Amino acid sequence: MKRYGGLSRLLSVYGFLFFAFIYAPIVLIVVFSFNANPVNMMIWDGFTLDWYRTIFGFPARLTESTLYVESTRQLYGAVRNSLLVALVASSVSTVFGTAIAIAVARFRFRLKSFYRAFMFMPMIMPDIVLGIALLIFFVSTGVKLSVYTIMIGHCTFLISYVFIVVSARIADMDEKLEEASADLGANSWQTFRRVTLPLILPGVIGGGLLAFIISMDDLVITYFIAGVDSTTLPVFIYGMLRRGIKPEINAIATIMLVFSIVVASAGLYLRARRK
Amino acid sequence: MIGRGTAKGRRAAALVGLLGAPTLFLGIFFLGPLAIMFTYSWLEPGLYGGVVWNFYHLNYGRIFGWANTRYEQFDPAYLQIFARSVWLALCTVGLSLAICYPAAFWISRQPERRKNFFIFLITLPFFVSLIVRLFAWVLLLRPTGFINQALMALGIIDQPLEMIFTGFAVVVGMVYIFIPFMFLPLYASVEKLDMAMVEASFDLGAGRWQTFRRVILPMTLPGIVGGSIIVFIPSLGNFIVPSLLGGAKVLMIGNLIEQQFLSARNWPFGAALSMVVMATILVSLLLYVRQMTREERVTATPLNRQEA
Repeated sequence: MKRYGGLSRLLSVYGFLFFAFIYAPIVLIVVFSFNANPVNMMIWDGFTLDWYRTIFGFPARLTESTLYVESTRQLYGAVRNSLLVALVASSVSTVFGTAIAIAVARFRFRLKSFYRAFMFMPMIMPDIVLGIALLIFFVSTGVKLSVYTIMIGHCTFLISYVFIVVSARIADMDEKLEEASADLGANSWQTFRRVTLPLILPGVIGGGLLAFIISMDDLVITYFIAGVDSTTLPVFIYGMLRRGIKPEINAIATIMLVFSIVVASAGLYLRARRK
Repeated sequence: MIGRGTAKGRRAAALVGLLGAPTLFLGIFFLGPLAIMFTYSWLEPGLYGGVVWNFYHLNYGRIFGWANTRYEQFDPAYLQIFARSVWLALCTVGLSLAICYPAAFWISRQPERRKNFFIFLITLPFFVSLIVRLFAWVLLLRPTGFINQALMALGIIDQPLEMIFTGFAVVVGMVYIFIPFMFLPLYASVEKLDMAMVEASFDLGAGRWQTFRRVILPMTLPGIVGGSIIVFIPSLGNFIVPSLLGGAKVLMIGNLIEQQFLSARNWPFGAALSMVVMATILVSLLLYVRQMTREERVTATPLNRQEA
């Protein structure tokens, strides 16, 4: 590799810039969430925790009443809705996605290739198209928009993500183990319960976690099918951003950042260790 | 699947048990909405929102040019917005490719442990909330944002640059959120690249450019095309990025669709626009699949001969 000495050094500099591009904007939010300047968020004016106090509804010196009176309550409501939707939608889609994955991998039937292709459809469809299709559907069938419509909407695309993760896990699995179980006299339910399920469980859990994270983060589809009093956290923040940029958003964003980085790191770390 | 009739029957029952509920669910809540949307796109818009159940092709006529009545007129603005969306999506693909390609080479040549850590670092932002990542760019690009403040403090400019609410801002925002999408398929190809081939090309007297053009580029093409299509699809129909970073000035097709539903209240027209976006994406996917199969046919023969 002597030949590329100069190029190599250039690439290293480039690599540094590449990661700076990815992480600098995120770091910026965290740093400026502690900025005491209420007028211009981007000019450093000392350290403060006031924005964090404000979002949790504690009295703070710098409030300048930027958040509306009800905001803390609305924020909590949005967080609760997000968690509730993500919990229900990811559980349901984990069951459904896993069921389809097992059927496609272990059974022979005529519509198999249809199911396989069909599972990719929600992924290639732009969010906005699915969002408005669901909106038209709920409105024209007279279903009132609420957290339940959001749960249903999320399931329609989360099933695909679970399907793909679980299918990959099944593909890695040794089919002989199931045959051995059958040879030893287990019936198909016993084989499934004692052999297949424990083996694909990491994939099922991984798919479920992924679905949970994607559901928590979904903005576009939720934006169209959320009822008036069923906002989720991303939709709430989107609304705040459209009304104007306030320093409190930095603090909310930082908390979300820490939360998602901790969850994702833990997930990825566990997966790496299992291998 | 050798067995008696009852075993076969039990397997069929198990299959129905597995597929029944999910099929019913997706049939009602996924295919149902799509079918209704398709139907709506061929219906007449009602006066105050809603639809009138008459066959009506002018929703498409307004986009493609044959609508010419008192109420519905062809407006080239729609095709312009559509063309702009395609253009911005292509810019996003080009820029993210240009950013990720050298990075993929750099990372593929790191020691194993560091390699895995770097890939982890690139995947991590995918799990960070989309709205948070875009908010960061609002803070960076605003007239009173970080970049302008920094440049003014350094005395490079004395008036804030207009960066937000431009096509540039939209492309940067989309590149930023889609970097993992481009990087991972690209890296998979670059990682597989056999450096011995590159060495061989140099030894046989090819220059840097020739080696790149004749050896490196063709061998990493699957990753390039794969990454491009994965970035192109969500960019084309994007609606959040242009609404936060493009403002009212840089409208994309996604924003136009949103307007039809939330402010103009012309649902059939919005449905027709969505169908056009879907059709574009399906066509580009079809082209991709055809290209890939042809690619395989072309490259498969000489490689097989080499191995034989």
